[in-house]
Amino acid sequence: MNSANQIKPAVLYHLTLVTALVVAPHFQRLDLRITLAFLAVLFLRWMTLYFAQWKTGRLLLFAVTIISAVLIFTVYPLLMGLEAKIALLSLMLGLKLMECRRRRDLMVVLLLGYFTLITHFLFDQEILLVGYVFIMVIALTGLMIEASRSTHTTGFRLNSLRYAASLVVQSLPIMLVLFFLFPRSSGPLWNLGVDNSTGQTGLSDNITPGSISNLIRSRAVAFRVDFDQDAPPPRQRYWRGPVLWHTDGNRWTRTTALQAKQITYQSLSPPVSYQVTLEPSPNNWLYALDLPEILPPEATLLPDFQITAKDIRNRRHRYSMTSRLEYHTGPLSRRERQLGLQVPDNITPRMRDLVSQWRSESTSDRELVNHALRFFRTELFYYTLTPPLMGENPSDQFLFESRRGFCEHYATSFTSLMRVAGIPSRVVTGYQGGELNPLGNYLIVRQSDAHAWSEVWLEESGWTRVDPTAAVAPERIEQSFDFDLEENNILGIPVIFSTADSSLLKQFAKQFRLGIDAANASWHRWVLGYSKEQQQKLLQHLGLGALSALKLALAMILATAVLIPLLLFLLRLGSQIKPDPVVRDYQRFCKQLDRKGINRFPYEGPLDFARRVVRKRPDLKQPVNAITQHYIKLRYGKADGPQLRKAFHQLVRQFRA
Amino acid sequence: MRLNLPDRFIRRCHSNRLGEATIGRQQIYIIPTRYGFGFALLLMLMWIGSINYANNLGLMLTFLLAGLAVVTMLHTWRNLLGLSFRVSRASQVFKGETACFYLQLINPRSDERPTIGLHFKNGDVIYSDLPPDCDQQVKLCITTERRGRLSIPRVQVFTTYPLGLFYAWSYLDLSGEALVYPAPGPRPQITNLPSYQLNAQGDKGVGADDFVGLRSYRPGDSPRQIDWKAQAREQGLHTKQFGGDRADLCWLEWDHYPHLGIEARLSALCRGVLDAVEQQQAFGLRLPNLTLKPARGETQRQAALRALALFAEAEQ
Repeated sequence: MNSANQIKPAVLYHLTLVTALVVAPHFQRLDLRITLAFLAVLFLRWMTLYFAQWKTGRLLLFAVTIISAVLIFTVYPLLMGLEAKIALLSLMLGLKLMECRRRRDLMVVLLLGYFTLITHFLFDQEILLVGYVFIMVIALTGLMIEASRSTHTTGFRLNSLRYAASLVVQSLPIMLVLFFLFPRSSGPLWNLGVDNSTGQTGLSDNITPGSISNLIRSRAVAFRVDFDQDAPPPRQRYWRGPVLWHTDGNRWTRTTALQAKQITYQSLSPPVSYQVTLEPSPNNWLYALDLPEILPPEATLLPDFQITAKDIRNRRHRYSMTSRLEYHTGPLSRRERQLGLQVPDNITPRMRDLVSQWRSESTSDRELVNHALRFFRTELFYYTLTPPLMGENPSDQFLFESRRGFCEHYATSFTSLMRVAGIPSRVVTGYQGGELNPLGNYLIVRQSDAHAWSEVWLEESGWTRVDPTAAVAPERIEQSFDFDLEENNILGIPVIFSTADSSLLKQFAKQFRLGIDAANASWHRWVLGYSKEQQQKLLQHLGLGALSALKLALAMILATAVLIPLLLFLLRLGSQIKPDPVVRDYQRFCKQLDRKGINRFPYEGPLDFARRVVRKRPDLKQPVNAITQHYIKLRYGKADGPQLRKAFHQLVRQFRA
Repeated sequence: MRLNLPDRFIRRCHSNRLGEATIGRQQIYIIPTRYGFGFALLLMLMWIGSINYANNLGLMLTFLLAGLAVVTMLHTWRNLLGLSFRVSRASQVFKGETACFYLQLINPRSDERPTIGLHFKNGDVIYSDLPPDCDQQVKLCITTERRGRLSIPRVQVFTTYPLGLFYAWSYLDLSGEALVYPAPGPRPQITNLPSYQLNAQGDKGVGADDFVGLRSYRPGDSPRQIDWKAQAREQGLHTKQFGGDRADLCWLEWDHYPHLGIEARLSALCRGVLDAVEQQQAFGLRLPNLTLKPARGETQRQAALRALALFAEAEQ
């Protein structure tokens, strides 16, 4: 068994490369030090392979292990969080590779490799990653094949890789059967205390100046929307999220002080129906266009038109919703007025002066609001992703000094000013806009579409949305927020919005991106969102009705049991050797005789055989000799042709022993 | 190798009347290897992880690998299925030497079959990689412990290809036998034992007159009789033999060794045969049940050794 336990260096080279590729998608998530350490270990492995005289001694291995352990505990002191575990796994993989000498070590590395692949899906679930993982599965399997070959005449054979690919492709049908029929449980087996706050971005339930502009750097998808009718125009696409009432002058937070009540409002426009597919987020609220009318069953509407839902944290969730875009919310409750007029302590005299100046120039609340918007429009305000750092009193500083800010600066300071003016107001956070994907006919809303705006209560229109950002940068509202983050990264530079006449290449890139996203969307619907409910729906669609877990398992086993003989049959077809028709005919002739107890010995030539047959069965002399002569002519002689072949075929067909 | 089942429960492949044994569907055993169990553990972990994180892609990867395991089982099984074996020849050895059987492996399929392992029970493992549609010969050896006919022991053929997750094996009961001669015994004293028969045509004993031939040097030979010329030609040490044709013929007789047991007598006779052949003497062999007429050369040697090997063996 010894020969089977040795591994050739060539296999180890490839193993090193494949290990690097298997871990590679984690590099963006891991601490740079960990990534470098991992690559260093691989490099060291490569060196010990390349310079065969450098033996990987125990001492070296021990040193590298100690260094890695120290590094891990420096970077992740308590090993808390997924990242720490990934770091540990990566370095373990590297170290195991380092001491890989025999086949057993190799197999351990390969199994760890498979395990590493699954961890990528905890962070990213896009199709591209799936393709990458699929290729890596083939590569690991190829190495496994290579490891179980007894002789290693050459290094890694392409042959092995091709065979691995064919094995993996053959297991796809079984995978599909298992995936769709494996009995699903609706919840986790036990709570792992998943810490999803790391690595995921999304709106939080409070804002401080700067919190949204951080979020906006992420191109990650927040949710996707399919409309039952045409999508509303961009300026009406305000997706309501958390509504913020309380402020300490810097941070704005939600309220729990509002009593649940019968929520009514007067709709002034036709309903808009749509389905939202929400990406996983650590939050429990749903997003809806302006004022929601018909809610999904799991959702609850709060008095400030915020929607919360149970059991939606950290998983993809799809829900249907109907909204009204124009409305009148009716009278203001006492509690709402009280909450909507809370003024923070840090209102400065010049803010009060500004407001009283507006008040004196206007006859109504509405006019005052317009004054305020005009102020933002005419004064030299900049809309920028990288506002300067705010001090003790951000609103004042923003309004009178820096004048560079992002939507949350505008919304919060506007709301503060309105409250000083005695107009009930609140900050609403959510998303604005979204990119319509013509390929999938749906809207993509990204984290970079995150937005904050104001709502003021006016006598004639109830709660009314006012977006001061629109006054400063109307492009933000009309267009998707599609700018080059790299270009806009310098402190305080105003945001440059992409315009229609951007280069052809960029247009093409955008088209390509939209195509990928369309594929992604159906991917989400069919693969990522496949759940127990959808499993039951699929079964009903197939006419099977609702099946119990036990029956489902039986169906799954049955389907697999059908697949295996099918696979065997296909394999047999693929591997059969098709003999020459002449040989086949002759074999048929021999088989006829074999049935009568005259079998041809392996060493017996056709002539000898014929002689023996005739000796045993003189009655067959004539046909046996004719067939033998034809066969010899066809196989060994010069005479060949369709005529002769046909004659031979006829002779064999007519032959009866 | 792994299981010690009672014989009657074991499914084996037998040689057909042409001496060929083909592994059929129901003659293949398969169990997971330790790597297979490791893989199963991995799948369990991945499954539990995917369910707990409600990660459909993780589940998908888990199921892909589960499918891979099933497909691998099939391929491991198939790597043996349809493989044919035939004993093409067997070596003839003296007792105590290693007898070798030459097995022909026939792959009638257009796929290669790598890593086919073969071994006798407790014997060394020989690996073979069979190219598509091809025959290959392997040599399996076993130490002999008794003289006579040695049928080829049960061969175990196994494979773990392609992934090493499963171990599939099959038992082959092939037809084929090697002949084991008695081990040559100590050389009996040369003067009194072989009976030299007088030849009617001459009266020459073992002497120093006529050169008869060469035999290889034995310690104690007189330096005068060594063929130094041959030694100078680097042909090894040879001793010139002199004598007459009276020494040409000798009878090796069962009755010469009344004081020895059966096996010891056979060993002594075997030694006599070998010596006679080396000295290029014609010899005859007289056993209780059989008499070989005097002759010389390879045919006679084989006949004599065969007779010694099969002495008192039940005819098969």
